[in-house]
Amino acid sequence: MLEIQQVSFAYPGHAPALKNVSLSIQAGEFIGLAGRNGSGKTTLTRLMVGLGKPASGQVMLDGKPAKDGGPAVMARSVGYVFQNPDRQIFRDTVASEVAYGPEQMDWSDDERQAAVDDALAMTGLIEVAQAYPRGLARSFRQRIAIASALALKPRLLILDEPTSGQDAEEKKQLMQLLGKLNGQGIGVILVTHDMEMLLEHTRRTVVLHQGEKVYDGPTQELFADPAHDVAAWGLRVPDVAAIAAKFAKITGAVRSVEELAASINNQLGGKTDEKSGASV
Amino acid sequence: MDAVQFEDFSYHYPKTGTGLDQVTLSIPVGSFTVLAGANGSGKTTLCMAMTGLVPHFFGGSMSGQVRVARQVTTDRPVSDIAAGVGFVMEDYESQLVALTVFDEVAFALENMAVSSALIRERVAEALAAVGLTGLEERELSALSGGQKQRLAVASVLASQPKILVLDEPTSALDPEGSEELYSLLAQLNKEKGITVIVADHDLAQALPHADRMVVMEAGRVAFTGTLDEVFDRMLTEQVYASAVPALRRLKAALETETRKFSPWTSADEAVAEINASLPPMRRLSLSA
Repeated sequence: MLEIQQVSFAYPGHAPALKNVSLSIQAGEFIGLAGRNGSGKTTLTRLMVGLGKPASGQVMLDGKPAKDGGPAVMARSVGYVFQNPDRQIFRDTVASEVAYGPEQMDWSDDERQAAVDDALAMTGLIEVAQAYPRGLARSFRQRIAIASALALKPRLLILDEPTSGQDAEEKKQLMQLLGKLNGQGIGVILVTHDMEMLLEHTRRTVVLHQGEKVYDGPTQELFADPAHDVAAWGLRVPDVAAIAAKFAKITGAVRSVEELAASINNQLGGKTDEKSGASV
Repeated sequence: MDAVQFEDFSYHYPKTGTGLDQVTLSIPVGSFTVLAGANGSGKTTLCMAMTGLVPHFFGGSMSGQVRVARQVTTDRPVSDIAAGVGFVMEDYESQLVALTVFDEVAFALENMAVSSALIRERVAEALAAVGLTGLEERELSALSGGQKQRLAVASVLASQPKILVLDEPTSALDPEGSEELYSLLAQLNKEKGITVIVADHDLAQALPHADRMVVMEAGRVAFTGTLDEVFDRMLTEQVYASAVPALRRLKAALETETRKFSPWTSADEAVAEINASLPPMRRLSLSA
């Protein structure tokens, strides 16, 4: 649905932030976007939603140049959740904040209300619909930002480091929400520094390094193939992937501690561990 | 000897009424302590109580006391405490005030009326410690996030604190930047004997470096002890268990009454021990 074709971009007075990047995103994918701070991740995602124009190359949405429609048209298909949710929250109640996008659309009142209600329900915010957004915990504010994007019924949701500053439980809940949305057919692009999360939740990962695309393929292969110099790209091989790579013959492809433990326990003699919840 | 002691310390913010309840906690001199807990559990308040900002700056109600270097924090002004406790806030950019790297590190020393010759010496030492030598004249706006983070550390190091407190220092850093910061903290801890206290969500990063851990839950200390002791209790009692690093969750999942492993701090250690436990026919040749 979204095609990035040989896109280059530079901020005035700085070295190119993106160099000749091409990327094809199909409907319903769950993609990780990784790389060092400053590698071009945020620049690329901003171009995907029309917040900026490439110096060369183009962004195509459903086969048509995105620049023809501009950000307003892009926003109907591609939702964007900023790293800091507070930068996009400005209204007095959760419901009115989520309603802002639909109010800009040429929808009927019923359609608008339905869009807001659906978005609040999908993100578990119905109980706080009348609360003051800035008085809620950060994990709630994050969900408000996601709900605001969902209210426009996007087919692709881009989240820029959504788990930074969130605790382990909040991360888990956020990833469950994104998994659920993806299960409903909404594509997800997750910009993240969290390698465990990348391994466990994404099927495909794109790595940027100094503005160039250096990897685009299955997430497990990114970490499993020693030919990929992930350290040079500023990434880290998750411990689960590092151990699984050594025992690949007995573990097969695993994505999480629970899967790894289950496959090793099979070889060690097996056990059922209540503490970790591993099913073996 | 303890660098910081909380003695039945309770504190409540004036507006929300949240804070800390009956915290009794000792942080030994020269230790490297990681503070864990869900958001809202009291980590930041604990950090601010060590620096005197709680209650001096925020007001509120309190009982019990906090001693830093054996002195009660409420008996001293924050500026006095700050000479011994360096604090890097979660929003570290908000504590950077100068135009250039040199001026930023010199700022606190200038306020302490340190001689210009000594300021130059201390700034050079602090920048060398964080790997920013050569960037003295660089404007802060031209620094990366990781460089700004290290500059914030250098700025507090210049005052030669005996205790360094960092609140979620890696939340904005990439994996490489996080590892560099933890290596720097470990070096300061081992070579200079600085007591390091870090509040963080990503406990895997702290695993190779920290020797003590405190888990906060709803304003109280849930567990404290060595990392092994605390991880074990987090898993056994299912308190914030999802935050236990992957290596330790794996270890717990593989151990039985008769099969025990040592506390792994790296994937290589885990691979070696798991391999040794496998039936001989299935073992790997790890040199390959």
